[in-house]
Amino acid sequence: MKDLHFILLLFRKEFLLEFRTRSAISGILLYVVSTLFVVYETFVKIQPTVWNTLYWIIFLFVAVNAMVKSFVQEKGNSVLYYYSLLNPAHVLLAKIVYNTLLLFILSLLIWTVFIFFGDNPVKEVWLFLFVLFLGSIGFSVTFTFLASLIRVSSQNATLLAVLSFPLIIPVILMLVKISAHALRLIQDTAVGGDMVILIAIDMLLCGVALILFPFIWRD
Amino acid sequence: MIKSGKIWKFTGVGLIVYVILAGMLVPLKTGIESVEPSFGNAGEVLEIEVTGYNSHFKEAGNAVRAWLKWENGKALASKSIIIKDDRKLTLSFSIPGNLPEDKEVQTVSLLIDNPIDGTSVLPSAIFLRATKGNVQSENDKWVTPGNFSKVTGITFPFRNILGETIRNTYFHVPLWFGMMFLLLFAVINSIKYLRNGTPEFDLKAEAFTHTGIFYGIMGLVTGALWAKNTWGAYWSWDIKQNMTVVALLIYAAYFILRASFEDPEKRGRVCAAYSIFAFSTLIPLLYVIPRLTDSLHPGSGGNPAFGSQDLDNTMRMVFYPAVIGWTLFGFWISSLQFRYLRLQKIQEDLY
Repeated sequence: MKDLHFILLLFRKEFLLEFRTRSAISGILLYVVSTLFVVYETFVKIQPTVWNTLYWIIFLFVAVNAMVKSFVQEKGNSVLYYYSLLNPAHVLLAKIVYNTLLLFILSLLIWTVFIFFGDNPVKEVWLFLFVLFLGSIGFSVTFTFLASLIRVSSQNATLLAVLSFPLIIPVILMLVKISAHALRLIQDTAVGGDMVILIAIDMLLCGVALILFPFIWRD
Repeated sequence: MIKSGKIWKFTGVGLIVYVILAGMLVPLKTGIESVEPSFGNAGEVLEIEVTGYNSHFKEAGNAVRAWLKWENGKALASKSIIIKDDRKLTLSFSIPGNLPEDKEVQTVSLLIDNPIDGTSVLPSAIFLRATKGNVQSENDKWVTPGNFSKVTGITFPFRNILGETIRNTYFHVPLWFGMMFLLLFAVINSIKYLRNGTPEFDLKAEAFTHTGIFYGIMGLVTGALWAKNTWGAYWSWDIKQNMTVVALLIYAAYFILRASFEDPEKRGRVCAAYSIFAFSTLIPLLYVIPRLTDSLHPGSGGNPAFGSQDLDNTMRMVFYPAVIGWTLFGFWISSLQFRYLRLQKIQEDLY
């Protein structure tokens, strides 16, 4: 119960930090609109298979951009203050939950902009929403953990992209496969199994990140 | 690092020498390389030209026997055998009008037996088309192949597409086993480093990761060569090939991460954490996802990677020493790398 309280407090802090500046969300929105404008300008008509791939690639880049600031904005003394006060697991969990929600909202935004510029190839909306949510968790866990690893380095933006792209490939492969279902591009009875694997990968990464975070956050 | 003498190093090198000698020098069992033509009709005389591999047909002479065998166990003995030379012979079969199975196209295996080479089988060698309306009862034609010749001697099995490349089993597969052991040791050292912060463990983790990735690259290269000879291309976009490249990219990022930190203590901590995180993604990448999709590799679709189909007892005698040998060799190289890194660090500290 007390754990939940701390996590909620930290979550609120993250939310307030974002809400006060609104830099991330507005920057990302601009990024999404301009990218999709270029994409539709060049492609004109997008086939569902291409749509599926493009969606996840754009989401990936959006996620990297959004996550860079996850730990970077906390510099110097405030971290020491947290260290004396808080349990590292709470800090990480709050960040993961916050980033999951942020990414989920961003993914919905990307979808909306996609629909605005073109049409909507998604046939099974609830399945697609669920895939977006699972994807947000996977991205959030991986990116949050990596951002916490490299926040002490000087060139963190490039380093995050370099480190995260190979690590995110297993997650993104499963996502593309399941979302192809939601677009009815493939008919496969094993979609439930795929989802279980994706959840298992998410949980595995989350568990490892929680175990390792206490060792690396004290810089 | 390891002070328990030099025995394990000698064991490793000795095993590798044994694996190279035995793996390269033991001949393959006699096999049937090709059959021409590979189809025929019921009720006709089928004449086929057989090319053997490592065979001694001429030497065996009249003792060569041949059968066509159906899946339900019925077999047809050859009518005549003309031996051209040690590797080529012409067989003729008079195929009866009523074939033993109730199918339009029936696949039969070819069995050839002689006292020098033993028995060789080519599964699904010939497709036979059943003709309708030509049904006679010729039940006395069917025989049960038996009285096979027993040959002694150590040989590796002959598999049709693999041929001599079956020897790569002692290099390609053990290198992956070795890589996993080395990376596992890197992770163990990373955990030790996170627990007590002794710089030695960080250097050990780096050394083991180095060797592990080198093994991974060698596994990829031997696999690509094998693929060129069996699947037809160095790169076939097979799921395991792709996932392996992803795994190697993940570990390439480890070295980039190492290079981007100045402070050794901070670098050690961050890299140890990354190494553990990377290893835990390796497990779904190499052992879960490839099993779910179709792959050219053995072991896709939920099968174990090595069944009795892939390894016979003679191959086991080389394969298991190969796994142990390559792993021990990797540990030796890692310990040398570790000593080099440690000296480098001492030098850095001095100046």
